[in-house]
Amino acid sequence: MKKIDPIVFVVDDDAAVRDAIKNLLESVGIQVQTFASGAEFMARTAAEAPGCLILDVRLPGMSGLEFQRELIAAGVEIPIIFITGHGDIPITVQAMKAGAVDFLTKPFREQELLDAIHKAVDRDRQRREQTADVAKLRQRYEELTPREREVMALVTRGLLNKQIAAELGASETTVKIHRGQVMRKMGAESLADLVRMADKLPNLSKGISRPS
Amino acid sequence: MDTSATFKSQIRSAFYGYGLAILAVASALVITQSLKPTVFPTPLFFAAVVISTWFGGTGPGLTAIVLATLVLDLYFVSPVRGFAIRTADLPYLAQFVLPALLSGWFTKKRKDAETALKEARDHLDAKVQERTAQLLHSNEQLESEIAERKRAEEAVHKTQADLAHLTRVMTMSELATSIAHEVNQPLAAIVTNGAAGMRWLGAEPPNVERARDSMTRMISEGNRASEVIKRIRTLSKKASPHKAPLDINEVIQDVLALIGTELVKSRALLTCDLKPDMPRVTGDRVQLQQVLLNLIMNGIEAMADVSGRSRVLIIKSDVDDRGQVLVSVRDSGTGLDAQDLEKVFEAFYTTKTEGVGMGLSISRSIVEAHGGRLWASPNTGPGASFQFTLPTGEAA
Repeated sequence: MKKIDPIVFVVDDDAAVRDAIKNLLESVGIQVQTFASGAEFMARTAAEAPGCLILDVRLPGMSGLEFQRELIAAGVEIPIIFITGHGDIPITVQAMKAGAVDFLTKPFREQELLDAIHKAVDRDRQRREQTADVAKLRQRYEELTPREREVMALVTRGLLNKQIAAELGASETTVKIHRGQVMRKMGAESLADLVRMADKLPNLSKGISRPS
Repeated sequence: MDTSATFKSQIRSAFYGYGLAILAVASALVITQSLKPTVFPTPLFFAAVVISTWFGGTGPGLTAIVLATLVLDLYFVSPVRGFAIRTADLPYLAQFVLPALLSGWFTKKRKDAETALKEARDHLDAKVQERTAQLLHSNEQLESEIAERKRAEEAVHKTQADLAHLTRVMTMSELATSIAHEVNQPLAAIVTNGAAGMRWLGAEPPNVERARDSMTRMISEGNRASEVIKRIRTLSKKASPHKAPLDINEVIQDVLALIGTELVKSRALLTCDLKPDMPRVTGDRVQLQQVLLNLIMNGIEAMADVSGRSRVLIIKSDVDDRGQVLVSVRDSGTGLDAQDLEKVFEAFYTTKTEGVGMGLSISRSIVEAHGGRLWASPNTGPGASFQFTLPTGEAA
């Protein structure tokens, strides 16, 4: 898969600090966009590229932590690296619990920041790939007939063809045919592969299975 | 030996007195004898009696009368040269003795009066001297009291200065976090730009333009950090009042530059309405900075619990109708009750859990020491206003 260049977003009310970060990241060839406030960041046009957010804890109007909560509530999934003037443990804990990638104290070592960025971007890339995978599986799953979905649910719960046939009141041959269709349509190479796919579709067993 | 000394002097004066009586009568005799018979004999003897009484007193006077009578009897009453007093001579002698006694008596009286007067004068002199001494003494006492008072005043002044310094230090510690941030920001920018500069130089080929740009940023951020330090130095300097002509707007801006992050933290909106070209006031910059810092921090704290309406702090400079400089700090906080308008200026009065209640009290004494006035008033809307005036020019 071709890797798209990441974009790093910087939100800091201090122009000198955000320009310095931009300067540093540009010197290592990373694309940067800077914002003076959380609201400015929210108003950006969302990009397809993976990335991360470097966020100052102390912001005018709304603190960085509050902004983090707002992002989560708005469903914006972007890894956050916090930067702060003074590393205060409770704030750090709170930020990390809410999913921050790292918490750096200003002035930070460039390598620390670059490492954190790489980690955050990787995380974002993985998340994006995963989301894309799930979307693809969801799409394939949508193409199954209702009967095939029932068979898939029972197969991935570990039932034998004979048991499935009994469950559905069909012949074993019919079940085998359905099963073959499911494997083909979902693009699964083995039963184990199909089970993994079922795991990635969280609503599968809940929505379709019947009480046994 | 006081008594024996007075006794001796009495003896001496008696000796002189009686001697004088004898000498006077003898002189009268010699002169009268030599002038005889052209002169009536008695007048010079009167003179002898008067002189003896005047200078010698009663004893010598009577002695002189007796001697004079004897001499008159002996030399001038016939028969000449005989002490026997004949009845026929008595009227003549009486004619001398009675006036002599009278004049002696008058002389004595006169002398006594004179002596009394002299004594009274001497006494007065002594009294005046005594009074003068008393006055000198109370003067000394007064002087030492004045010195004492001056010392006490100095002590009060020093205590006040110490307290002012203390609250300044305390406000400083409240602001320390904020100031640390002010210094840390440029430092972070310097370090990051430095790292970026190294990378621009290390690139293939080196990007000198971007490296130079990074260094320019480093220099300007270094200067920014040093500006912050400079401002802290002025604020924390423990200096005795140093009055100089100054622009109150500059003082306001000095303080605003320091409380920037404090404002951000408190989420208060600051509006500045500074009248340009304000007349200069004569004052101590650091002390006036402290007054403003106190008023602004109080305003911010008064708004800390406010929700549901905007937190606005308005700082205004103006010239009042008397031509004085007028500065007001208006908040939209919880406000003040009418009975608290004056109370807030009392020492150790505080509504804050961490306050010592000295800020406003010290602020007021600083403003008053500058010849101005500091007072609080409720707003027509929410919150309270603190205002102070300062006389312009050399009047302070």
